[in-house]
Amino acid sequence: MIELDGVSRFFGAEVAVDNISLTIPDGSLCVLVGTSGCGKSTTLRMINRLIEHSAGEIRIDGHQIRRFNEEKLRRRIGYAIQNTGLFPHWTVARNIGVVPRLLKWDHAAVDQRVRELMALLGLEFDEFANKYPHQLSGGQAQRVGVARALAADPGILLMDEPFGALDPITRANLQTELLRIQSHIRKTIVFVTHDMDEALRLADHIVVMRAGRIIQQGPPTRILADPADDFVETLVGGRDRGLKRAALTRVGEMMEPADAGAPAAVATVTPDDSMRLAVSLMLWHGVSRLAVVDDTGRRVGTLPLSRLVDDRP
Amino acid sequence: MKRTNRVSLVLVLLALLGVFGLDAVRIQPNRIVAGTGYRLFEALGPVELLAIVLPLCLIAGLALRGSRSGAMVMLVSAVGLLLAAPWGLGAAITTLIEPGNGAARAAIGGGTWLLIFALVLLLVDLRQRLGLGVGGGLLVATAPVASLAMALMQGRLDALGLVREYLGRREAFVDAVVDHLVLVGLAVGASLGIAVLLALLMRRAPRIRQGTLGVLSFVQTIPSLALFGLLLAPLSWLVARYPVLESLGVQGIGLAPALLALVGYSLLPMTRNTYIALESVDEAVIESARGMGMGPLQVFFRVRLVLALPLIIEGVRITSVQAIGLAAVAALIGAGGLGTLIFQGLGQAAMNLVMLGALPIVMMAMLVDALLKALAGALRRGDADD
Repeated sequence: MIELDGVSRFFGAEVAVDNISLTIPDGSLCVLVGTSGCGKSTTLRMINRLIEHSAGEIRIDGHQIRRFNEEKLRRRIGYAIQNTGLFPHWTVARNIGVVPRLLKWDHAAVDQRVRELMALLGLEFDEFANKYPHQLSGGQAQRVGVARALAADPGILLMDEPFGALDPITRANLQTELLRIQSHIRKTIVFVTHDMDEALRLADHIVVMRAGRIIQQGPPTRILADPADDFVETLVGGRDRGLKRAALTRVGEMMEPADAGAPAAVATVTPDDSMRLAVSLMLWHGVSRLAVVDDTGRRVGTLPLSRLVDDRP
Repeated sequence: MKRTNRVSLVLVLLALLGVFGLDAVRIQPNRIVAGTGYRLFEALGPVELLAIVLPLCLIAGLALRGSRSGAMVMLVSAVGLLLAAPWGLGAAITTLIEPGNGAARAAIGGGTWLLIFALVLLLVDLRQRLGLGVGGGLLVATAPVASLAMALMQGRLDALGLVREYLGRREAFVDAVVDHLVLVGLAVGASLGIAVLLALLMRRAPRIRQGTLGVLSFVQTIPSLALFGLLLAPLSWLVARYPVLESLGVQGIGLAPALLALVGYSLLPMTRNTYIALESVDEAVIESARGMGMGPLQVFFRVRLVLALPLIIEGVRITSVQAIGLAAVAALIGAGGLGTLIFQGLGQAAMNLVMLGALPIVMMAMLVDALLKALAGALRRGDADD
């Protein structure tokens, strides 16, 4: 558990982070979101003491982080950043193994761990282990960056706009990967982004920041349903947020049981698809009803347009 | 890639100009008189002449076709000509000098220089076109040198003025080379040490950065002879004041002022390169190194310094080449080195002696340049090369 208690950071007379308090429970994925210069990166970097906090208290599992030796603290916290920061003079395998080696794991253990992580991140060991960072695509490099952050099996993972420099398709892939990995490893993740869609997609808990303060925090659905002010409303997309909310809802939550007498549907969705996709399919095919099928193609439900809109007269 | 290789064509023309237009050798009755010049076709028999001209024509013909296999034949022909050059030269001078004439000697004329120069450039160009690797390049470069060394060892070139001057002062020559290398080595080593310290200091306190670079730039603008002279007085004064220095070998003239001046000149390129090298390491990499939990020393030695190394070596290369040349002037204040031979030769109007001093300097500079370039390239391989 990470607790920030009245934390501030001053740079000279300038206040970068202004008295914020925040609790991040174990195993949750907390996304700090806001425009550039809002203090979200500074907040993140105060947690591993790359920046020291000027006031307040930061605790990890109840212990003040100031009590720890800086380097030892950082070796216990995974860290991934936007431009990967991979060491250009080291191979992929050596990059991933850096923290275990700093922790003086023996050679075989490091090697074993590197293989595990490359498998977890979908990087073929034989193909990539001996490549240098400049030989990788942006997406591959970022996977290596995430693998490196996870190498010493830290309880906490800090990610500073890790997917910010990637093209939309690669970014979406890596977001999916991150969710998949998180469902296995259940780390406490603090993730910084300026992209609200990314925040909505990944977060258990969203923290909206502006000018060094926390404007609003809560689960994605609540941020969407009830933005605290105009700024948050703009961030969540204003009149576009119907679709954003639909993107967070699964078809399985909305569907009706299959009725045998219904005519064959033109288009189908699965229970795990998002409602955003369902609406898109309805618009595309010009239908008001979709068939819901499972992976094997068996019909498990039906989704009529009337489930999406309370057709108030 | 069937394109006319114009560069090679021009170089062949240059080589032919060397063969027919300029003196290949000059025969001097003694070491000072300029002597009479002979062109290659006057110095050689018709067979030997054909042995030079025909390969050149072959190279020109293949250059017009511009195919890859042709380029390989061109390369082999040019290497062959260079291999034969010392032996041909030896044959030419032995026929031109009457046997038993101990004072007479031959000087290498402009024609021969031009021919060799053109052939070497041809090799450089062909090596690039053929994309020969380090190994191939090394082979192409060492074979002619080995041939020259063999001709020298067998005494084929003993009648050459250059060789005569060398044979007359073998020990002095070896001493001069050693002195030169020691002087340059000490200067480069000392300035590298100081430059690293200065660069670290400049990174700590940006305020002293401008000042340091300003002072070092100013030192660069002082003419070398003046700087050597300027150091005479203060050093003599210091030695007079602190006799302990004298027992350490410090004097107003000799090694101490030469070393000081060379270090002075070396500091600007060395410090600037080292500073820029350390500064230009990607901040994201440094930040992630810190974020991974490396301590300040680990960040510096494992990441920053390693990544800066190719650029630092670039500074060492520039500085070394510059110091090798400048050290020649240091002979004027009694620091020894190859400059001694050059100035002796100038004083005696013996051009062959000047050459004996100057040629090794040029060769040393080229060798150091090539070696350090290769080293920087090898270090960079990890991050810039496939």
